[in-house]
Amino acid sequence: MDPSLVTPGTLFFFLLASVVLISSVGVALAPNILYSAFSLLGTLAGIAGLYLYLGADFVGIVQLLIYVGGILVLILFAVLLTNKIGEVRLSNLSAGLSLGVPASVALFALLARVATSTQWPLTEEAAAPGTARLGDAFLREHLLPFELASLILLMALVGAMVIARRAAKEESRSVPEGTHDRLA
Amino acid sequence: MTLDNIASMKYFAPELILSIGILAILTVDLIVGKPDRKRSSLLAMSTLVLALLATLVTSDGVSRGLFGGLIARDPFTDFFKLLFIATTAFVGVAALRSRDTIEYQPGEYQDKESGEFYALTLTAAIGMMLMAAATDLLMAFLSLELVSILSYILAGFKRRDRKSSEASLKYVIYGGVASGVMLYGMSLLYGLAGSTSLSAIHAIKDPPLLTLIAAITLCFAGFGYKIASVPFHMWCPDVYEGAPTPVTAFLSVGPKAAGFALLIRFFHGAIPADVRSVPLILGLIAAATMTLGNLAAINQTNIKRLLAYSSIAHAGYILLGLVAGNDDGQRAILLYLVTYLFMNLGAFLVVMAMSDAGLGEELSEYRGLGKRAAFPALVMAICLFSLTGLPPFAGFFGKFYLFAALLSRGGTFNTALALIGILNSAVSLYYYARILRAMYFEKPTNEAPILEASLHRWNMGIMAAVTMGLWLAWTPLVDFAGASIVQWYPHATQVASLH
Repeated sequence: MDPSLVTPGTLFFFLLASVVLISSVGVALAPNILYSAFSLLGTLAGIAGLYLYLGADFVGIVQLLIYVGGILVLILFAVLLTNKIGEVRLSNLSAGLSLGVPASVALFALLARVATSTQWPLTEEAAAPGTARLGDAFLREHLLPFELASLILLMALVGAMVIARRAAKEESRSVPEGTHDRLA
Repeated sequence: MTLDNIASMKYFAPELILSIGILAILTVDLIVGKPDRKRSSLLAMSTLVLALLATLVTSDGVSRGLFGGLIARDPFTDFFKLLFIATTAFVGVAALRSRDTIEYQPGEYQDKESGEFYALTLTAAIGMMLMAAATDLLMAFLSLELVSILSYILAGFKRRDRKSSEASLKYVIYGGVASGVMLYGMSLLYGLAGSTSLSAIHAIKDPPLLTLIAAITLCFAGFGYKIASVPFHMWCPDVYEGAPTPVTAFLSVGPKAAGFALLIRFFHGAIPADVRSVPLILGLIAAATMTLGNLAAINQTNIKRLLAYSSIAHAGYILLGLVAGNDDGQRAILLYLVTYLFMNLGAFLVVMAMSDAGLGEELSEYRGLGKRAAFPALVMAICLFSLTGLPPFAGFFGKFYLFAALLSRGGTFNTALALIGILNSAVSLYYYARILRAMYFEKPTNEAPILEASLHRWNMGIMAAVTMGLWLAWTPLVDFAGASIVQWYPHATQVASLH
């Protein structure tokens, strides 16, 4: 490797990248789903680090708050509160290694070639904190996607309620047999 | 002409009206406290009518970029707006009487969750409209996700039904993977262009071919999953079978048409479809989609599954218009989508009417339907003839324009593709005829006549009438579709100089 590339910055990048990589392998290969969930911590936090490294301060912090602080905890709760999680029967074993491995290797080779062979246009701008610009973009040139995202969230919420409320109702109904006719 | 946020509002009126309607349906349910299927559907229908009026009033044949060029308002968008409003309206009316969407107890309709059903369906309509309008990868992704998320919820809408829940879950997992792959492709395009706008991607100077093809292929995962083309079709039979029938009818027409709108925008607006290897890739996918859909349909015994495979095959035919890659091909796609709306919805409406009348979804249940329920059987026969592409039904004209657009481009590859398409139509006759044979030539296990709901009868009548009589209005329709093809080439001068 070109010695001029070995700067504290690149070392830091490789450190973060290896954290992400190793813990994602852990997510995929851990025998226990709880270990998978914990491995996700490294992946998500490492990606937050990568965002910060690239100067995307806001996205990095949001990644920490929402993914590490919220979604991961949610996943852990779901795993911990689910009964019989230890005796999960995998009905679809990932058979077909003979096809899957070559396909993955070929895809990796292709994507690696794409990433390294292309002359990506670079901007001259140095990475700088962008929170103010982000806020500006949300209310100016990206107002529509911002509003559309809120519509998506609203309807996802409504949909989640439809599905979850029904599940809760089914549970309460299943106990006293035959009483639901009067309730309905 | 590109308008800023405030000036865009006028041309964004249809979507705004739909959003207000959605909130109204949900809020009225909250205020009144007692859900009512009739009220919700009435609100939904009047919202759709208002949106239709707003579309017609603000449509003036000019191409505009709205919100600083994130979406376009042009004849192409308006064409699809009309298509989506029609789809949503027909499905919404049918769902009013369908016991598949909202639980039916003998003697009474349960109205619970009907407000949510209509709100979700209308939101899906907004998503589809935005998919057809997107001229920016960000909007394309967000609108596609909006439609997908609503499709997941709607597919799992059926109460206490394992198949419905399974369909929903499979759809989520499959859709998540497809979206992820598509985002990777979009990130490559963004990296090349430094912008998410389709016109900026179009303007990339001397893109490295490998990167461009990889990006297009990865993006196609997301679009191909929406239109259910091979190899992203696996979710389709399970979801179509498990989802409530009105939802199946909706999914088989609406999001599919929206996916094609997005594909047209992408391949005509961002990547000229005659970039060397693009027609080759699209052609191979189209051939595989047609062939797999038709061959897999042959052995199906569940009628919804059979129609699911048939809809995969039709996605293959429509892709041929994209392979042609010119204005004729684009016009043929638009025409086909119109015919497809009526013939496919018609077929699903018959399934819906029959299952509401207590008939199962297995093909064996349809034995002797010609005697037991003469009118639905007739509508089914008309729709199936049209889906096969026999004259004088609408499907024939649709297919004719698709194949003609391809053949007029010349070349061995295009001719071979058109031949594959014609052969596939012959194969499709075989399994469509299985339904016809069951309905008309096999003895029913049960002689009792089946009475369909009058609402379904009207709906089916409209579908059959349009499918049969579309040739009467074919010339104006061709002119309308021809005037509606994508005009939004922001770098029109550059495009002209390239050819």
